Parts: sequence; C-alpha cells; structure tokens
Amino acid sequence: MNRRVLFVGSACVAAMVALLAAGFGRNPSEVPFVLQDQPATPFRLERLGGGDPISLEALKGRPAVINFWSTWCVPCKVEHPVLQAGANRYRDVQFVGVLYGDEPEAAQRFLQRTPSVFPTILDPGGRMAVDYGVAGVPETFFLDAEGRIVRKVAGALSAAALVETVEAILGESS
Amino acid sequence: MFAISTMGTLAVLASLAAAAFGVFAGLALVSGQPGALAWAKRCGIAFGVGMIIANGLMEWALITHDFSVGYVAEVGSRSTPLSFTIVSLWSSLDGSILFWGLILGLYVLAFVKSVGSTYRPQLGFTFTALFAVCVFFAWLIAGLASPFDLVSPVPADGPGPNPLLQNHVLMIIHPPMLYGGYVGMSLPFAMTVGALASGALDAEWMRRIRFALLVPWLFLTAGILLGGWWSYEVLGWGGYWAWDPVENASFLPWLTATAALHSSMVTERKGALRAWTLSLILASFLLTILGTFMTRSGVFNSVHSFTQSPIGPVFLVFLGIGMLVSVVLVAWRIDDLGPDQSLGGALSRDAAFLANNLLFLAFTFTVLLGTIYPLLNEALTEARVSVGEPYFNKMAVPLGLGLIALMGWGATVPWRPADPSVLKSKLSIACGSGLAVGIIAWAIRGFEGGVLYPSTLAAAGFSTHLTIAELFRPGMERAKRSGQGFGDVFVGILKARRRTGAYVVHIGILLIAVGIATSSTYRQERGMTMSVNESGEFAGYRVVFDGFERDVEPHRTGRVAHLSAFHGDEALGAMSPRLNHYPTRREPIGTPAVYTTLAEDLYISLVQIDEAGGEVSIRVIVEPLVSWIWLGGGVLVFGGLLILSERKTRRRRKEDAA
Repeated sequence: MNRRVLFVGSACVAAMVALLAAGFGRNPSEVPFVLQDQPATPFRLERLGGGDPISLEALKGRPAVINFWSTWCVPCKVEHPVLQAGANRYRDVQFVGVLYGDEPEAAQRFLQRTPSVFPTILDPGGRMAVDYGVAGVPETFFLDAEGRIVRKVAGALSAAALVETVEAILGESS
Repeated sequence: MFAISTMGTLAVLASLAAAAFGVFAGLALVSGQPGALAWAKRCGIAFGVGMIIANGLMEWALITHDFSVGYVAEVGSRSTPLSFTIVSLWSSLDGSILFWGLILGLYVLAFVKSVGSTYRPQLGFTFTALFAVCVFFAWLIAGLASPFDLVSPVPADGPGPNPLLQNHVLMIIHPPMLYGGYVGMSLPFAMTVGALASGALDAEWMRRIRFALLVPWLFLTAGILLGGWWSYEVLGWGGYWAWDPVENASFLPWLTATAALHSSMVTERKGALRAWTLSLILASFLLTILGTFMTRSGVFNSVHSFTQSPIGPVFLVFLGIGMLVSVVLVAWRIDDLGPDQSLGGALSRDAAFLANNLLFLAFTFTVLLGTIYPLLNEALTEARVSVGEPYFNKMAVPLGLGLIALMGWGATVPWRPADPSVLKSKLSIACGSGLAVGIIAWAIRGFEGGVLYPSTLAAAGFSTHLTIAELFRPGMERAKRSGQGFGDVFVGILKARRRTGAYVVHIGILLIAVGIATSSTYRQERGMTMSVNESGEFAGYRVVFDGFERDVEPHRTGRVAHLSAFHGDEALGAMSPRLNHYPTRREPIGTPAVYTTLAEDLYISLVQIDEAGGEVSIRVIVEPLVSWIWLGGGVLVFGGLLILSERKTRRRRKEDAA
C-alpha cells in the first residue's frame, strides 16, 4: 500500500465531497434582481378596449401592482382569479395588466369570458417589457406609492405572496 | 390483469435481486469457485432482461396514455405527437434513471456475452464491481426515483414532456447517445477495478478494457456533438457550446477517456504507464457520476438541470464511495504496477503520448476548476460568482492548439526513438503546409481576428498533412517495394482498420477544430426590425419579410415569420423562423431558420412579432464553416466504427483458424 497516494487521494475525495455537499440547499438560478428598489421606468400606454392611456406618473401616489400576461400562458390563467381577488380586497392599490406578446383581439375574447376588475394596457413591440426586464409571462411587479419597484415575482402569483407584499407596502407607507 | 405499474415495479425488483445476487456470485468467483462464473452470467442476463421489460412496459404506458402510472401522469399528454411521447421516457428525472437502467442492462448483456466460458482472474472483482453499480441504479429506480408509482385518482390528461425536448428531432437521438457514453463507462471501470483488485493486468485484459472504453467514448463523442448541434438548431443564439456546467460535465469524462485511450496504447505496447492509464479510466467513470450528480442535485444552474430532487445526496454518497474505492485500489497496487520497461526518448511516440496526456489532464483540471469554482467561492466567501466563457476560452484555446499540433507530431514519430534526419525532412514539408494554410486563412479572413486564428489553422494544416501522409505511408512503401498499384494501397489501408480508423478519427477532430475556430472567430450578427415587404441587408445577404402566421397545433401555438433570403442576386428560398408557445412554459421557445452551405450558414432567429403593428424583429447571424463541425463529427464516428470493426474481424479470423 502506497501511503502517500492513499493519504493525498483520500484528502482530495473528502474535500470534493464536502464541497459538493456544501452546495445543497443553494438555489443556483437565483439572480440578483437589479431593478430592486429602483424607480420604475416611465411609460404611457393605450388601454385594451380604448379609453385614456395609463402612465406611470398617473399611478404614483398609491401603490401599484403591474402584471405582465398573455392568453397563451397557462400560469397567467391560473393567477387571474388571485389578481382579481387582490384588486377587490385592496381598493387603495392600483392593479394594471400589461399584454405581453399577444393579439389584443385574443385578450379581449379572454376578458369577455373571464372579466377583469382592473385595466390592461397594450405594449406594442414589447418595449415596456424590455424596460422591466421581463423574461416571460407571467411576471408581476409591485411598486410603492413613489413608483419604486419593491418586488418582482416571476411565474404564477400566489395569494399568499400577493397579500404579504401588498401588506408590507401598505404598512410602510402608513 | 395486473396493472402496468405493478408489473413494472416487479420487473425492476427482479433486476435489483439479480444484481444483488450477482455481487455475491462475483465474490464467490473471487474466493476461487469457478462454478460461480455461470451464476454471475445468469445474474447479468436476468438484470438485463428485467430492465428491458421494465422499459418496455413504461413505453407501453406512455404510448397508451396510461395515466395511472406516476411517470406518465408527470410527462405524458394526449396532445403530444407520438415520436415525442416515445422519447419522453428520458425527458424527466425518474424516466431518465429508468432509461439509464436499460442502457446499463444492455452493456451488462454485452459483457456477459463477451466473457465466454473462459475463467480469468479479473472476472470475480469485475462482476462484483459491475453488479454493485447495477444494484445502486436498480435500487434508485425501485425506490427514490420510482417511475412506476400508482396515481390515484387517475388524471384524464397530463402536461406533456419538457417543451425544450419537444422542439427538435435531434432531441430524439442526443440523450440516448450521451447515455450510451455515460452508462458505458461503468464497464471499463468495473474491468479496471477487476484488474487492480486481482492484481492481474495482462495484455489481453488491457486490450479488452481499451475496447470497452472505446465504445462509450464513441457514444459520448457523438452525444456531445449532437448536443451542440441541437443547441444550434433550437436555442436561437447561433452557438453550439456555452461552457454550461452540464456541458462541461459531459466534456470532463471525454477528456480523461481520450487521454486513457492514448496512454493505453503505451501500456499495451510497452507495459508502461499502467497505473496512470487505469487511474484515468477510473476517473472517467467517476466524472460521469459527477456529471449525473450535477444535473440531478439542483446544485448547479444549467439548461439541463432536472428539478431539485432527493436523489442528489444519494448520488453524492455513491460518488464518494466510488472515489474512495478507486483511491484505495490505486494506492494498493501502484507500486506493483511500476514501469517494467522505460519509455523511449524525447523523439519517440511515447513522449508524444505523454505530452498529449499532460495536456488532456491540464484541460480536465481547467474545466473542472471553472465548473466548481462558483461553489468553492460561495463556500469560502459566501459571495456569488459565475465563471463564464472568457475564462474557459482563454484557457481552452492554447491547450486545444497544443493538442492539434501534437496530433500530427504523434502520428509521425515512431515508437522507437526517431532518426532526427528522417524526421526533419518529414516535418519541414508539413511545416510548409501548415504555414501555407495559416497564411491563406489570414489572407481570406482578414487580420482583425488576431494571431490566434491563423496559428490554429496552421497547426491544423500541419497535422492534417502529417496524418494523411502517415495514413498512406505503409501502403505506399509496400507498393514501392513490390510494384503494386494505387488500388492495392487503398485495400491495404482499409484492411488495417484500427490504424486507419484512428487517423480518420484525427481527421474528423481536425475538421471540427477548424470549424470551431472559424465560426467562433468570424461570426457576424445583427438585429433587424422590418414591416411586411420591407427588406434588410447584412454581410452580403438580403432578407425580405413576406408576412407572418399563427400555427396552432394540439400541443403548442407557433408564431411564424415568413422571410425570403437572397445571397447577392441568388434566391436561397423561404426561411421561416418561429417562436413556439407551450402552455406549461413561461418563455417561448424559438426555432431558428438555418440555410447551410459548406462555406457558411445564414442563421435567422425570430425575436419578436408585433402582430398588431405588422412588424417583425429578427436576429441574423452569418457563421462561416459551422457545417464542418457536424461533418467532422460524421467522419469521427466513421473512424471510430472502423476501429471497432477490426476487433470483430480479428476475432472471426481467430475463430476460423481454431
């Protein structure tokens, strides 16, 4: 038995296993969200179905929830009732949908079947989505009354996450 | 009638029992009971057959949409096309481990057949190690990653497999090839354990190990290249390799196995470098397990990652035990395996192979370090870093350049120390060829690519010259002596399949190297936004936007842009890149349109369609010599098959003689 090989080899094995074991529980795809606590990029966009355009300036003064969605995305349909319930519960918070990569007609057909209590705006060319770093739908941005981005949720929004975030924003502002 | 889930579970349990019994049969063989050989072989057959049945049952359940089976409920869908339903066997974690079991079963069956009835001292430990690996995987399939769990209530439909895997036909063959490589490393590993534990390493066993290593090496090579091709055809960024942790994980065992294939030739011929070669083979297997750990533990971020699962820690324990066993075996035998013949001088092929091995080892460490560095850094400093392409490219390019040049050098220098004057005349002509290729490349592509590109092409030219010269040399010399014609020379080349195959593999690698160097250095890219009937020009191409449409299929909705492409005045035809929206996925998956020629590819991916505004945004990429990579891959696989076929003919000749 070559003791040197045994010793050095075993030490390397132990180090490797310890290193890999240390990685458990880590979320490797977690990327720091660079827009965190930054002022949201201004926008002024047409409403789906007509009416006055909606702008970031007009939203300021009250917290806002901005939800990027489309009709072809199943998680968006899953979170639809959660957002509706949220908008009904928090009348002091403004909810706005942004149509992402979809036809306005398709969105209107969807909203006729499953109506929404808050407006959706159109984002032709996806410029607002680019400004907000949207990678896919659904993504939901929570803004405080000053128009700063407090939190982003990628994927279907849960009722718990909505309540927790909105309560936190309202708690800070009161 | 039994439900499929019950029958599948029984088949897996039967395999597990066969493998467990096989471990004992192997140990009985070690303790000197020759009768145990027949039992070990029977266990191997039972394991293989059990796995074939289990996989057959799962395929049947997938095709018939039997949603009472857990895995089918997880990845099946009535709207998925049949071809993708069949391949969804390996589209998710549990199914992929079951599929692993199938490939392992097939390798075990092949090994059992190759063993024959001759007793060899290494067989006992080989069977023990091989069945230990089988026990581990059968246990995973039966327990932690069980795909046959019963679902109640039975859902009416399922979500379908991962959309990324449904997008291209290459996805049907890339994973099985890679698995053929990964799983196949178990066999040379077990045979090496057999040799080290029994202390018997004769030339015949070494030849068998080398053959057992060559098969998975070929699968791994083909799997890696097909993965690159898939990435190129599907992901829409015009690249084929991104140093993603899981790509690296497949590349690491390829590097060590390639090194082992070379050093094993020195071992075979001279009996030298034995401990070194065997260590490389052990490492190749352990690196495949590390790679599997990376994709299935949730520790590394990658497009290949399966969802986080409890089998990560189990794999880590298996990896730890495998590494420890390997270290103990090498430490135990290393002093007995010392060189029984010294190597040739600096101008011999031994030295060239040694240099080759050192470069491959440096390459392995470079890639391994870059891959695990984020983990290391986070463990020590809690800071999150990522190691990107610049590090890998900076390190890999010089190492690759050295390996390319060595390919020609190694082929030219003889096993015994070379006569410097003969070598000088051979090399000076090849240097001339290399220089000419380098200068031509520089002249064609311009000077902005720096000195690295022409150097790489010069090295490739140098090695191609020497490889082809060496391929024809023995035949030409014989022809000169005996007055044979060119036809005889060619027949002679085809007969020496192992030698010819090896050089053909090298030519394939050189084609790939030129393809990679050129396409990555001279790639041009531009974004365009156009309205209907508008056109855009780029790098000699003109693209006209004809319109768009929606393509609604049962399992996805595609948004397609119709474009016409022209190169100068020549019409290249319609190109229709698309974005596919799958109901279960947030981001759309693109399918770029690619117009391929030997000289360059025109690659168009769809970024965005604004249907209301009638505008389309596309990314146009012009990439020279990409097709050389796939062409080189084909040449390489052909060469590998030539090498494998020689062993068969040799065995047949031996049998005929007997």
